[in-house]
Amino acid sequence: MTKTEFSDDLLTTAFPGILKNHPICTQSSHFVVPKDLVPAITHYIHTQPSLRGRLTLLWACDYRPVRETYGLYYLFTLERSHHWVVLSTETAGTDRLFPSITPHLHAAQWYEREIRDMFGLIPQGHPDLRRLVRHEHWRKGTHPLRKDFSWDATLGRQQGEHHFRHIEGEGVFEVPVGPIHAGIIESGHFRFSVAGEPIMQLELRHFWKHRGVEKLFEQQLLIEAVPLAERVSGDTTVGHALTYCQAVEALLHLEVPRRAKYLRALFLELERLYNHLGDIGAMCNDTAYALAHAHCGRMKEQIMQLNDRFTGSRFLRGVIQVGGVTRDIENTQLTKIVEELNQIQQDFSEVEAIILGNASLTDRLETTGILNEQTAWDHAVIGIVGRASGMNYDLRRDRPFAAYDELPVNVALYRYGDARARLRVRGDEIHESIRLIREMRDKIPGGPIADQPSSSPNPGDWTLAAVEGWRGEILYMVMAGEDGRIHRCKVRDPSFVNWPAIQWAVLGNIIPDFPLINKSFNLSYAGNDL
Amino acid sequence: MFRIIKKSLKIGVVTGRYQKADRAAVPVPTEAKDKTRPFKRSLAIREVDTGSCNACEMEMNALLNPVYDAERFGIHIAASPRHADALVVTGPVTVNMERALKDVHRQTPDPKIVIALGDCAINCGLFKGSYAVTGPVDRHIPVDVRIAGCPPRPAEILEALSELRGNG
Ligand code: SF4
Repeated sequence: MTKTEFSDDLLTTAFPGILKNHPICTQSSHFVVPKDLVPAITHYIHTQPSLRGRLTLLWACDYRPVRETYGLYYLFTLERSHHWVVLSTETAGTDRLFPSITPHLHAAQWYEREIRDMFGLIPQGHPDLRRLVRHEHWRKGTHPLRKDFSWDATLGRQQGEHHFRHIEGEGVFEVPVGPIHAGIIESGHFRFSVAGEPIMQLELRHFWKHRGVEKLFEQQLLIEAVPLAERVSGDTTVGHALTYCQAVEALLHLEVPRRAKYLRALFLELERLYNHLGDIGAMCNDTAYALAHAHCGRMKEQIMQLNDRFTGSRFLRGVIQVGGVTRDIENTQLTKIVEELNQIQQDFSEVEAIILGNASLTDRLETTGILNEQTAWDHAVIGIVGRASGMNYDLRRDRPFAAYDELPVNVALYRYGDARARLRVRGDEIHESIRLIREMRDKIPGGPIADQPSSSPNPGDWTLAAVEGWRGEILYMVMAGEDGRIHRCKVRDPSFVNWPAIQWAVLGNIIPDFPLINKSFNLSYAGNDL
Repeated sequence: MFRIIKKSLKIGVVTGRYQKADRAAVPVPTEAKDKTRPFKRSLAIREVDTGSCNACEMEMNALLNPVYDAERFGIHIAASPRHADALVVTGPVTVNMERALKDVHRQTPDPKIVIALGDCAINCGLFKGSYAVTGPVDRHIPVDVRIAGCPPRPAEILEALSELRGNG
């Protein structure tokens, strides 16, 4: 892959009003921009052919009571160089307005609504200002991430009703589903408008499971919040813990020993393996292919038991700590893991061949729930879902973390964007993960597994960390507060980005195919709702 | 068609290949056992997620895989609360889910039992005190059985459920 370097001058010459600031991490640039220039600059970064910036994160921060301002931050990843561009701007005094970029950048839609709910800042010109996180029964004026809102406040209730978008016409009817579903899945609401069989519109209504995670982070010490990160989304325990730790390590200037970096990569791949196996099984189950489901479930269980045997937790909880890992996996144990995984790979290859050769399954999967490349790009879709729709991103290759700088990853990429492509991405990644673990066994160096934190960060220092979890890109923005506390922690699970895209993927499909499409995305509700 | 059957025969029976849980670790109160007597030897469960991190759900799902195969004990998942004997609730109760939980509880026909699964459901776990959480499950509906753990292992859940059926 050829890397074209991004030059900061490109932006400063195009927009003389912006100021260059210190980069927040390697391979990144940071600019301070006037608020009213934000729409023009974001539009430029997004559409300029040499940049093609993908909106990666948008967050706000309350600086009161120190300064009477709110900060707004826009993070873009440039298409070719994978360089990060951060734009920051501020609201002044009692001004609660900021210009919305949603009209020309779909991907900003939920972020801006989230900021409105959590901070009470109003995105001017946003086409949809309904509440997102705050359900209608929350009292007016409740904005939990404001610094003057107490974390343990009791919320009052008010009357209110959510207004769904209606399609009117002869024969059009609505099907509400959830928040509680028929299977053992998380809580969320789906509202379908259908005429006959095909879906004309799907509207999501999520955030039933909002637990106030970001506010809870602010009550914790930097070095003690790993258990909370692990519980943002249970199936991504390692992914979230690792991203959080990387952010804290950057703030504390901690150097993680190489052996620990390898072990972190090992745990991340084990997590990817059990989830992908489970997902392939679940997709088979939704096409009534129960035997294949049983086989995948059995292999998933085998890996979870392996996790339990080597780390004491089926979900690999408590293995990642700030500065390294808590448990060493001896080289002899590593060899045992590789042996077991080799056998699982053999086993999986047989099942995979049977699944892919099954005509009736192929018939159900092909052309079901197509998310085309353009829609995927417009919504900045990432992870497995993105890679099935031609979005060629994988942080393990693009911005290597942990030990991936020494472990080149072959990225699975498909372009059809249907359920089958998403199944194939997972299948390929299972083989790749096992190959990577074999490579780790050969390359892993000896040495310590953790470094002790010694310094404490300056209040107001902040950084970003990103990890390619099994679902996709996980991002954390951590800002240090007084006495080693957290001033602000923005958590972004890939689900938050990919959920809106499912509304497009289902169009024209029939409702009985929805569970299958939903499974092929398999997004987290907990990680989305926070 | 034949290939997958052949594959299944080759693998053989995997049911029971897990480390059994210690019965003492998952105490089931006698009152709860008395309450489940009318269900005889089967138990239809409705799972309700009121804000879990989804690891508890995953372990409930694991009960249905061929290794644990809870169906062999007559434990199955009902698609609607109206068909359920027992509610399994996971997660601290969030402000947004509180109503839904109470509705589900009302819609489940009597006699019924409620099982709080995981530390969150029992005492809100790490989410205790948050503005968005309105307290453990037993603040809103009566709870009969508590299965602790974060998350509890499937073997432990299965042990508690079998015990409830009184012939585990
Ligand atoms: S008890 Fe633990 S595993 Fe279960 S929902 Fe709560 S945090 Fe997640």
